[in-house]
Amino acid sequence: MAEVPIIRFENVTKQFDDDEPILKHVSFELERGKFYTLLGPSGCGKTTILRLIAGFIQPTSGRIYFNGRLINDVPANKRQVNTVFQDYALFPHLDVFENVAFGLRVKKLPEARVRDKVLEALRFVNLQGFERRKIHEMSGGQKQRVAIARAIVNEPEVLLLDEPLSALDLKLRTEMQYELRELQRRLGITFVFVTHDQEEALAMSDEIFVLNNGRIEQSGTPRDIYDEPINRFVADFIGESNIVPGVMLEDYLVSFGGKTFRCVDGGFHRNEPVEVVIRPEDLELVPPDRGLLTVTVESLLFRGVHYEMIGRDEEGNRWLVHSTKKAQVGETIGLDFEPEDIHIMRLGESEEEFDRRIEAYGVSTDDANA
Amino acid sequence: MERTGSRWLSRLYLIIVFIFLYVPIVYMIVYSFNAGGQMHHFSGFTLDWYRELFSDTRLLMIVLNTLIIALFSAAVATAVGTMGAIGLYFLTQRRVREGLLTLNNILIVNPDVVIGASFLILFTVLGIQLGFISVLIAHIAFSIPIVVLMVLPKLYEMPRTLIDAASDLGAPPRQVLTRVIIPFITPGIMAGFFMALTYSLDDFAVTFFVTGSGFSTLSVEIYSRARHGISLSINALSTILFGVTMLLVFGYYWLSQRGARRLALWVKR
Repeated sequence: MAEVPIIRFENVTKQFDDDEPILKHVSFELERGKFYTLLGPSGCGKTTILRLIAGFIQPTSGRIYFNGRLINDVPANKRQVNTVFQDYALFPHLDVFENVAFGLRVKKLPEARVRDKVLEALRFVNLQGFERRKIHEMSGGQKQRVAIARAIVNEPEVLLLDEPLSALDLKLRTEMQYELRELQRRLGITFVFVTHDQEEALAMSDEIFVLNNGRIEQSGTPRDIYDEPINRFVADFIGESNIVPGVMLEDYLVSFGGKTFRCVDGGFHRNEPVEVVIRPEDLELVPPDRGLLTVTVESLLFRGVHYEMIGRDEEGNRWLVHSTKKAQVGETIGLDFEPEDIHIMRLGESEEEFDRRIEAYGVSTDDANA
Repeated sequence: MERTGSRWLSRLYLIIVFIFLYVPIVYMIVYSFNAGGQMHHFSGFTLDWYRELFSDTRLLMIVLNTLIIALFSAAVATAVGTMGAIGLYFLTQRRVREGLLTLNNILIVNPDVVIGASFLILFTVLGIQLGFISVLIAHIAFSIPIVVLMVLPKLYEMPRTLIDAASDLGAPPRQVLTRVIIPFITPGIMAGFFMALTYSLDDFAVTFFVTGSGFSTLSVEIYSRARHGISLSINALSTILFGVTMLLVFGYYWLSQRGARRLALWVKR
């Protein structure tokens, strides 16, 4: 805990000209050796954060610390940070070897050292034998590896990755997700990965920052964010979810869809209006008489691993269900779920309040269930 | 039916236009080999006029002058123009950038006579003696906008992230320029150099204004000789000049094609 965070943002705002700020008073800390993901829709400010860390742009206000040192005015070429760009940004006039050697040559390392380090970096990304290839002779996946090798050969303390997988096809993308995660473990340095792909974020990260509109909506482990989204935006953006209005009758007792259910959330006022989240895969298809809720199936799609059904309950709430069992359109079915599957979101709650409440009521919940 | 007809018509039109443009040149070239010594009756093949040309030391000096002016002015204009283009590229205020670019383009469409006359006035006011220096300065000046115009598109073709990547890898601004920007825009710089070279080689109007009595370039010399009466050695000279210009144009074309092909490959992958 006492360790100095590798990167710290303190109330950072970035504004271009007179436009609305792209980042609004953002504060966070990054620890050494972890895999972080900045996740959000386009225009949310995630790439701006990356460019601020890299030093391509300067914050309008606020402070950025690297290793405890203020780096607001340190130019990009003097930061111990390297970037893998979305378009790879490989130098077309240089071959693979010279691309990777670029940073070392700028630092004027002796030729023998340059050679050793470049070959090692290329071995690291499985590109031995490609040294003299021209960039335009490489495939998308290979270019990606060259870009990674070119960055890590400089032994940065932080590696920034700006949607590096978005240009690859699905299969290659999945492969590279494993490779990047593995690479981060082997190197033991901090990765900051920018993506708009929530599956990518969930699969790879130690910690995710969900951004929207220039603000961090929520940060936490993939599990935290998936299971306990703080608000409607996060719940919607991370995976698919059913979000229905409900009323918290008292702690651990919620009413929605015309019925009352036990749940595991506490710290609410009596009869407080809330939003209820249930993930579609947590809803189990059962005969109507055994369901906690009954819905009428309105549509059905075969998705390969499961069927995707949309049903409507008596109150008119829409329920998305993922199930390997099949129902007919127009059929009335029952939906079953456990108290732990219900997640309650308080309206307009800030991240600090949310964390405090979860901490205060999380433990007692486990006891209640035991 | 109608289609093929109109296509033939357009082809015919094109052929006529080219005949119209090239016949005088071909006519001139053919008669540079005429033993008869005049332009209306071809009486036999000879290289006499070329021989006469090459024994004319004054003319050879002028050829040398012309080449020196062309190479020198093109080199200086390329250096200045490239820096200018890079400067324009990095200008953040859009208004200023577009204003400067417009000023640049005006110089290109501006009639040579106006440029020549204004240089003459300038040199007279400044007391610069007309001769080699004045011609060189004038040629450098009218070549710079051409170089800017050839280099600028190449800069805009360059992904901005290349600059970010270079500084991300530790390169200070100077090395970003020498290691990334300059190599990337080299085809544009070469094209600009060749364009400047051709413009300088065949410029008449501007040179005519600013050249003094003791100094002359080929185009001015040809003009003054043609006024004194027709000698077929002028045909021979013009033929050579035409040949050199053609070579330069092909050189430029080859370079830009090669650049385009490289780029196409780069984009495709």
